[in-house]
Amino acid sequence: MIQVKNLSVAFGHQTILSHVSFNVQHGEIAAVIGPNGSGKTTLIRAILGLISSEGEVLIENEHPSHIRAHVGYVPQRFRFDPDFPITVKEYLDLPRPHVHKKEYSQKLKEVGLEASILHKPLGSLSGGQLQRVLIAQATIHHPSLLILDEPSTGIDIVGEEQFYDLLKEQRDQHGTTIILVSHDIAVISSIVDQVICVNKKLICFGPPKQALTQEKLSELYGKKDAALYSHHQHH
Amino acid sequence: MELFEFLQYPFMQRALVAGILLGVLLAALGVFVTLRRMAFFGEGIAHASLAGIAIAILVGMNPLPIAMIWAVILALLIFILEQKTKLPIDTVIGIFFTSSMALGVVLMSFTTGFQPELLSFLFGSILSVSISDLWTIAIPTIVILIWLFSSQRQLTFLSLSEEQAIVSGIPVRLQTALLYIALAIATVLGVKILGIILVSALLIIPPAISRLHAKSFRSHMILAVLFSEVIIVLGLALSFLYDLPSGAVIVLVGAFLFLLSLLFSH
Repeated sequence: MIQVKNLSVAFGHQTILSHVSFNVQHGEIAAVIGPNGSGKTTLIRAILGLISSEGEVLIENEHPSHIRAHVGYVPQRFRFDPDFPITVKEYLDLPRPHVHKKEYSQKLKEVGLEASILHKPLGSLSGGQLQRVLIAQATIHHPSLLILDEPSTGIDIVGEEQFYDLLKEQRDQHGTTIILVSHDIAVISSIVDQVICVNKKLICFGPPKQALTQEKLSELYGKKDAALYSHHQHH
Repeated sequence: MELFEFLQYPFMQRALVAGILLGVLLAALGVFVTLRRMAFFGEGIAHASLAGIAIAILVGMNPLPIAMIWAVILALLIFILEQKTKLPIDTVIGIFFTSSMALGVVLMSFTTGFQPELLSFLFGSILSVSISDLWTIAIPTIVILIWLFSSQRQLTFLSLSEEQAIVSGIPVRLQTALLYIALAIATVLGVKILGIILVSALLIIPPAISRLHAKSFRSHMILAVLFSEVIIVLGLALSFLYDLPSGAVIVLVGAFLFLLSLLFSH
């Protein structure tokens, strides 16, 4: 279980997040939503212990830095020079060497990739393939928590649906708790158990149908944009 | 063979051993320098080491160890400032590079008479490598290489994605600080053979050539080291054969191989 209590983040005098609290239960998929600049990525980074924050974050009752081995993370931007010579296998090896090739083949199959991709240069992959490799690397050690920051960026709509199916499979097969940052309320509403709406503070939290009311969407996105999001959500 | 006639001379043998050792060290570290786009670090540390050399000359000590200690202090200061402030690393390096070099120039003005040591550090003096210099080069080189090859996966990961590396439990700050220290030491050792002005060439050119050919990280590392050794041995031999400054010839051989690689890489 992930417990976030009174989490606040400030950069200098600027408050980015103020007193955010929520719990995500084991095996749930939760989506962090909110407009641009609302503090979604900051929330994720604070949960991971990548930035200093006030308040408390517990993952399986432990401080995030104490249970690194149980956490997988796919960042918002994985910017690397595509000409840098590194194969997919070498990239997968980076955090944990000596993983058996069979394990890689199985993991790649799970994320919808062929084992033959192992020897391809990482820079030659498409956006969708790269995203799947990032997930394979983040989940090869079967983490109890997988955190993804805007994972569907750069993937087309068909790829996006397959991508969310893949996350559901991760949860169903391995019981992984998943927290993801997303812009796409329409898509995530159908797959997530909880939504965490933030705009500098916690606006709403709970199952999408209960939490994403017109009133909360207006508070989150402003009245004009909320109508658009609400429209998408019901289609 | 006339080209390798130089091997019969003890001073050339010592030069070759020093060159081969530093060739491995600078090329292996250079792979991370190019990956992290921090070529300016080598350049900055090399120039900044002038103050360390000046201090050693003023107090009458061996310049190489003093310059190394000076460079390590600067590398750590750069690391701390990079962590504590939001200044870009090249700005931080630029501040230390220029101020330390200025300090070196001021300190040099206190020395009297002709300073052959100073000239040899400015332009390199691989042919004057003594047995004690060889030990000063060999011991840190071996220590750094052992650390580098045992940490290369961690260093690659943190260079590609620092946040993912932190989350997967890699001691990112410690390894980054160690990389800066290793680079500072290697650069100062390289100053002995190529000089302050040219040393960063061996950090950059061999990995740059290797990148044009390598398909994997493993082959990138191996090719960088191999190209580095070819550049040094060929450069030394040619400089001996045509009685030219060895440091400059080594760099020119590297540049020529790079151009040749560019032509044949695609």
